[in-house]
Amino acid sequence: MERSPPLLRSVRVLSGILLIVWLVLPLVPLVVWSLARGWRYPDLLPDAWTLRAWDYALSAQSGVLPALWTTLVVAVCATALAVLVGVPAGRALGLHAFRGKALVEIAILAPVIVPGIAASFGLHAVFLSLGLTNGIAGVILVHLIPTVPYMTLVMAGGFANFDPGFEAQARSLGASRWQTFRHVTLPAIRPGLIVGALFAFLVSWSQYLLTLVIGGGRVVTLPILLFNFASAGRNDLTGAIAVLYVLPGVVVLILTARHLSGRSAALVAGLGR
Amino acid sequence: MSDRLKIALLLAPALLLVGGLFFGGLAVGVVRSLGVSPALGGAGPTLAAYRTLLADPEFLRSLALSLHISVISTALAAIIGVAAALLLRRTFVGRGVATVLFQLNLTVPHLVGAIGILYLLSQSGLVARAAHGAGLIGGPADFPPLTHDRWAIGIILVYVWKEVPFIGIVALAQMQALGEDWESVARGLGASRWQALRHVLLPLILPGVLAASVIVFAFTFGAYEIPALLGQSYPAALPVLAWRRFTDPDLAARPEAMATALVIALLSAAMIWAYVRLVRRGVRA
Amino acid sequence: MTRVTLDALTAVYPGAAAPAVDGLTLEVAEGELVALLGPSGCGKTTALKMVAGLLAPTSGDVAFGGRSVLEVPPERRGAVLVMQGGLLFPYMSVADNVGFGLRMRGRPRDEIRRRAADMLERVRLPGLADRRPAELSGGQQQRVALARALVVGPKVLLLDEPLSSLDAHLRGEMRDLIRELQQELGITTIMVTHDQEEAAILADRVALILQGRLQQVDAPRAMYDRPATEAAARFFGGRNFVPGTAEGGRFLSALGPLVLPEGARDGPGLLTIRPEAIRPGAGPENTLAVRVTGRAFLGTATRLTLAAGDVTLEAVLPPDTADAFAPGGAAEVHLPRCALWVLPPA
Repeated sequence: MERSPPLLRSVRVLSGILLIVWLVLPLVPLVVWSLARGWRYPDLLPDAWTLRAWDYALSAQSGVLPALWTTLVVAVCATALAVLVGVPAGRALGLHAFRGKALVEIAILAPVIVPGIAASFGLHAVFLSLGLTNGIAGVILVHLIPTVPYMTLVMAGGFANFDPGFEAQARSLGASRWQTFRHVTLPAIRPGLIVGALFAFLVSWSQYLLTLVIGGGRVVTLPILLFNFASAGRNDLTGAIAVLYVLPGVVVLILTARHLSGRSAALVAGLGR
Repeated sequence: MSDRLKIALLLAPALLLVGGLFFGGLAVGVVRSLGVSPALGGAGPTLAAYRTLLADPEFLRSLALSLHISVISTALAAIIGVAAALLLRRTFVGRGVATVLFQLNLTVPHLVGAIGILYLLSQSGLVARAAHGAGLIGGPADFPPLTHDRWAIGIILVYVWKEVPFIGIVALAQMQALGEDWESVARGLGASRWQALRHVLLPLILPGVLAASVIVFAFTFGAYEIPALLGQSYPAALPVLAWRRFTDPDLAARPEAMATALVIALLSAAMIWAYVRLVRRGVRA
Repeated sequence: MTRVTLDALTAVYPGAAAPAVDGLTLEVAEGELVALLGPSGCGKTTALKMVAGLLAPTSGDVAFGGRSVLEVPPERRGAVLVMQGGLLFPYMSVADNVGFGLRMRGRPRDEIRRRAADMLERVRLPGLADRRPAELSGGQQQRVALARALVVGPKVLLLDEPLSSLDAHLRGEMRDLIRELQQELGITTIMVTHDQEEAAILADRVALILQGRLQQVDAPRAMYDRPATEAAARFFGGRNFVPGTAEGGRFLSALGPLVLPEGARDGPGLLTIRPEAIRPGAGPENTLAVRVTGRAFLGTATRLTLAAGDVTLEAVLPPDTADAFAPGGAAEVHLPRCALWVLPPA
């Protein structure tokens, strides 16, 4: 690389520091609040540090643990279903050219980009008559709106790099359909499958409005609880729940850091919302 | 099995789910917005809800506010995101930390970002406390309102915080795919650093950054929980208004709620359509 | 016209074990075309980038006309690099691509338009000014890239694999065009290639680089006939290497005494002869009795593997001549003394 002039280099370092501070800053008060005892204006730091908020959050009466469980069940089910339908659809889009493919791609992409509020309002009316509102099954179903397209698109990318010639080779060597999938196809698409599933999990984990509309406030996931405590001004408890709520994302990031480079990062970034 | 049948079978489950849930939901929304509802009796399809909306100053102010939030958030996120990508492309002290934080930030839910900004920038927030400590302000009321404010500064800051890493990573991935050679060619032909950036690198990454910006625009236009937490109650952002009317005990407000939500979907779809048109024309020209 | 001097030019990429370019010293005369020849990954492109100013050398110097240009940024150096594949800016028309350098220099619009059109004509692409790069063939793109470089009137032209992206039938045409324009404009040119034939046809002199190190700089013919090292000889298709000692015009080795051409240095060395220089039958001197151990028909020639005692030699003969050499049989060949060359010992 060409050497940069010193001025440019110092500008870079300076803006780099600014960027880092800006990225971290909003997370700082959350952590501090979760450990604070008596943090009144205008003190910069709390009077004392305590784990009280954490104790309460993890106790029976706060409702955090059931919410955690609900969020987990919804996210795991939505992810599993998304994998089941997303892998075949991704295969069709990644490996085959067919008439109307552009249209199918747009139809699959639309729910990722177009805000889900209108569809969820409409869906509420249908689910109401089917008895699916205010229950966890309906919430899982509505979470498929963002997760299925997401999984499909990630797998389409994965299959685009897969040469089906390997499958033909395996079949001609005597492998059954299932053996071929198990020993040839699956290992080839595994990295995309894992990254896609982990981020589909995060997509469901992060849903607020879809859960609120279909769950009607009866299905209490972590973000619903978090929003309520935040609106109620329970800063210490809010801080603790927020930290809990962020953790799976951190774990997913650590698990996928190896795979997250270049294009795949862009894909994940583009859809993991 | 023919290829066509195989492809159809592979796609069927996903298309049925997406079609049924998303497009089906939209369709029902359209029908309800036209006042057709079994629960409300058999009024024929009518555009009354839309007419009411267009005459409703609250709706129009909400629409203007949401556009204001989305346009400014998207523009800021795109500019800062590209600048950050330019920064992260080069080695500098702290580049590793910044890159990790970039990725970490992508996994943090918007709601957490919103609460963080609230605790940071509210009139009794961390920054206000620091300002007090520095002797800049007396009480909380002296601190300029940055949350629940007229200009939706808090909301915009949450979006910028969340979307800068998103656009930055898209731009960074593009820059890495392009490599150094394009700029090298330009430099060799006599372009300065700045000219190579302005005339070569930026036009090359523009399509990707535009696509990411469209996604950001649509998201910021349709997100509920951030303006619900950080916004003024009047005018409220469009999704907040839609939700209020949706949960209005008076069922007569339902068609308006549906219509409001559909306006959000429609405007986002229009943005995407305009973008696709733009790209197509760019390719043809 | 500009003389280019590379003085102990070295590039070490961070984290790399070996330098990409290791102490490259080379002088390119005014108006000369020198080809940096070597296998891919041998650091040729890195060297070009350092000359262009796109990469700061770890050590060493680049001088144009005797004056170091290390502190001169690429846009003011006057050395234009034409990258592999051309890299035309896809969102600009052909004319805008060609005019890019002039636009960066702030020239008036109509001058840019005129000079770009002129240059397109010189590379024999008139009438394509308004096309997009994607609408051109590979050969046309490469010519536009050349026009884009030449229009700014560079002091030094740097070509990175200018023919590698082209089909075989387009290469000849492009090669002639490069040679013609280069000589007409008298631009000092350094080109990078992995193809010895391309280097031999185009270049005044060839600089052979292997593993980041310069092996030899010479006229193309001399590279074939008088390689400086065994590695250089092998790169140019050398197959026969026999250790021994030169003494008073003779080479003593397992092949027995062989008469050397005049002026051969005495001392231990490695005798080499190109496979196509070995002649069938007995000769006036240097005749060897051999056993034919292998014969392979190559199309336009036939390759013979010959055992002369413990030494294995490879010969390439016209197929008709080679027919007489039946595998397993005994035969005679001779090594013309002018085709013998003694390398320094490894």
